[in-house]
Amino acid sequence: MQRRSFFTGAATAVAAASVSRVAMAALPEPVIQASADTAEPLTPPNGRPYHPVVTLNGWTCPWRMNAGVKEFHLVAEPVVREVAPGFFVNMWGYNGQSPGPTIEVVEGDRVRIFVTNRLPEHTTVHWHGQRLPNGMDGVAGLNQPAIPPGKTFVYEFEARRPGTFMYHPHADEMVQMAMGMMGLWITHPKARHPLIAEVQRDYAFLLAAYAVEPGAATPRVNEMTDFNIWTFNSRAFPAISPLVAKQGDRVRIRVGNLTMTNHPIHLHGHEFEVTGTDGGPVPLTARWPEVTTDVAVGQMRQLELVADAPGDWSLHCHKSHHTMGAMGHGVPTMIGVDHQGLVGKIQKIVPDYMLMGERGMGDMGSMQMPLPDNTFPMMTGQGPFGNIEMGGMFTTFKVRSQLGANDYRDPGWYRHPKGTVAYEWQGAPLDAQAPRQTAPGTAPGAASVHKPESLPPAAGHAH
Amino acid sequence: MSPRLLRLTPVVAALVLAGCASVAPDGQRSAVTAHTAGSLPAGSQLADPAPQARAAARAQVAAWLQQPVDADTAVRIALLNSPALEAQVAALGVQDAQRVQALTLPNPTLTLGRFVNAQEREIERQLSFGLVSLITLPWRARWQGWQLEQATLTTAQQVLLHAADTRRAWLRAVAAQQQLQTAQTLHEAAAAGGELARRMARVGNFSKLEQAQELRVQQEAAANLARSRLNAALEREQLARLMGLWGAQADFVLPATLPPLPAAAALRAGDDAEATALRERLDLRALRRELDTTAERNGFARVGAVFGDVGASYSRNTSTERASGHDDITRGWELELPLPLFDWGGAASAGARSALQRNAAQLRETALRARSEARSHWLRYRTAYDLAQQQQTEAVPLARFLQDEAVYRYNGMFISVWQLLAQARSTAQAVATATEAQRDFWLADVDLQLALTGTSPGTPPSPVTPSAAPAATTEAGH
Repeated sequence: MQRRSFFTGAATAVAAASVSRVAMAALPEPVIQASADTAEPLTPPNGRPYHPVVTLNGWTCPWRMNAGVKEFHLVAEPVVREVAPGFFVNMWGYNGQSPGPTIEVVEGDRVRIFVTNRLPEHTTVHWHGQRLPNGMDGVAGLNQPAIPPGKTFVYEFEARRPGTFMYHPHADEMVQMAMGMMGLWITHPKARHPLIAEVQRDYAFLLAAYAVEPGAATPRVNEMTDFNIWTFNSRAFPAISPLVAKQGDRVRIRVGNLTMTNHPIHLHGHEFEVTGTDGGPVPLTARWPEVTTDVAVGQMRQLELVADAPGDWSLHCHKSHHTMGAMGHGVPTMIGVDHQGLVGKIQKIVPDYMLMGERGMGDMGSMQMPLPDNTFPMMTGQGPFGNIEMGGMFTTFKVRSQLGANDYRDPGWYRHPKGTVAYEWQGAPLDAQAPRQTAPGTAPGAASVHKPESLPPAAGHAH
Repeated sequence: MSPRLLRLTPVVAALVLAGCASVAPDGQRSAVTAHTAGSLPAGSQLADPAPQARAAARAQVAAWLQQPVDADTAVRIALLNSPALEAQVAALGVQDAQRVQALTLPNPTLTLGRFVNAQEREIERQLSFGLVSLITLPWRARWQGWQLEQATLTTAQQVLLHAADTRRAWLRAVAAQQQLQTAQTLHEAAAAGGELARRMARVGNFSKLEQAQELRVQQEAAANLARSRLNAALEREQLARLMGLWGAQADFVLPATLPPLPAAAALRAGDDAEATALRERLDLRALRRELDTTAERNGFARVGAVFGDVGASYSRNTSTERASGHDDITRGWELELPLPLFDWGGAASAGARSALQRNAAQLRETALRARSEARSHWLRYRTAYDLAQQQQTEAVPLARFLQDEAVYRYNGMFISVWQLLAQARSTAQAVATATEAQRDFWLADVDLQLALTGTSPGTPPSPVTPSAAPAATTEAGH
């Protein structure tokens, strides 16, 4: 049934686009976001006050107060997300982008969310981590009928627990999450909370992975393991905004994982504590310092630290392939392979052939070679000292002493105090006679257990 | 003119005709050339066995061989130089001589006899002459003329077939040479891939298994190169044979590529194909001549059979009485007429009638085949053009596009250099397929020309079997 409606999507999309204006009249106007840039934090204009979060390359959903109820309007719809400059992916999201807008509420708020389905198939929204009536939990078939294309459903419940949460579909979720349907939900404490610190900077993002064929624009929704686009809030480095902090600020970083694998999130230059999960604040006695925390699938982590070390510090997933753009995972390693006399021969049949990988792949970052259209390169991030040689789940944590309290703008590259940058040794060079590993392919002193016969020569008879 | 003289006219005419029948000095080559002129490249000439002409022809062939041999020159050389063709043309000369011999009146017979008995001595002189050959001379002259024309037409067809065979062999040889170039490039690339794989294995980046898989590609390319070499050599050999070349002359140079496809507007239209074939085909004209001959023979058959050979003789016998020495001379003539007592000519007449029917049916059958061949060869020609055009304007650009995309994917490290090489091989294969299609168009062009203006192009090519596209050798990138 799901499949059938998936394939008849074209017709239903037309129906979805023509939602009656009369029916919408009573609804809060949905706020559509056209930009993938990080929006200014939304200071609450009404309702209980709170310190707003900054959604990396995202924004917070405005609401309207209706008889004491906070009303939001999410529109599930196909979107085109600029995942990196010049690299566009056809996704499904909410209100013009994937991920959808962050919903920020305060503990105890009564929340009413209108969900309009402009997708070609039915959907639901599951409010991940919320305590709510069973019929509002958003599992299609179990808790509610799915929202058909063109229809608007209403969810209404009280935000009972403070913490970091998310929302995502629970109808055909394999497809809908692979297509980017997700968003953050932050419930701020209504008063000072013994386990929730006051912070000056509060950042939030979701981890998402996509499988986009080089040269294509729509994710392969059937992929289970071999993803090639690794994102914070559906953006890939170098397009992810930096996290900016004034020196001495207490900073909270909220990370949720909607990929199909775990991500060890690692911060340079500081240690942090995990102060909360989507289960709630972590008791003080259960916290320990870390520089890397693993965010497992479907989990959320709240990291907190004091930004006391000025500089541009990496913040990234420590799975090294997750800080890479698209690449072929089956390409053999070329390191150390002598190409002498072969490049010209290969160029005879492929004139544009260039030797790559002989010394490693670091050259890839500086090579400007044509790629298939709409393909996210493997590593293009540029730093003040050259190529950062990364792309994907990587960004920077920029701590500066001179920074306004509400200034979230990128302050540019860090200016290192004199004598604090690694430098080239100018003394005597390494002794050429120093011991060194033997040539590749031979293990010194290792007994040969199995020695296969050498291969037959290739076709001398043709000469 | 007196009536007596008038009565003598046929006899005189026959005598004149008989006197005129002489062997053509050029063995009918000019007659053959007249029939083939429109269908052969300008400047084509048949071999002349005269020693001076032979020397000139050798010089001419040598001059032609200085340049890369194009298709027209190949045909010119073949016409001038091929012993096989020369033999066929010489056979026509033999036939011409036989014709002239047949038209020559039999010599009169002079019979002398001397008979002696006791009383007399008799000397007999008789001059006899077979009248039939004289009386039938005008008819026979006409039939023999027709038969010669028919033989000339047949030889002209042989010339055209030889020219067509040469042209086909030239196309095959040039195409095979082009394919050999491709195979060499492919082998070189595969060898580079194999060598790279060997070096990969040497430093531990490839297993022996992975290396072996690339080695297999190299071996296949080497085998293919060997086959291409053989094919190019054999096709070239066939061309050399048809051109009558051997020794140092067989090292002639061919152009690097086939002639380009003509523009679509320059293609031969198919609407008048049948009419052209019926009007111009030499085999039809030969059969029509044969039918004429048989038809006239049909009328003559009964008479000829009944009267057989009418003989006339004049005798002058002298008897001398031995005793008296008195001569007695007897003069007189004798006419020998067979009597139609048993053979009334029925069998001969029936035979002639059947021969006529057979020839008429053969003509109809050949006309039918000519029409069908005109249609089918035009269709083949047109389809071959479309296929070649499709290969050149669609398939090859598509293969190039695929290769460009493969390079982009290689640039982005989505595919390995071996996958890139596999795509490049597939591109080279597409170019080779396009070359084959181009060759097939020109082959179809040769067949069409022959089917329309010459003769039947021979065994029709086997029906087209749509072949499956060669399996793509590229592996999908990640």
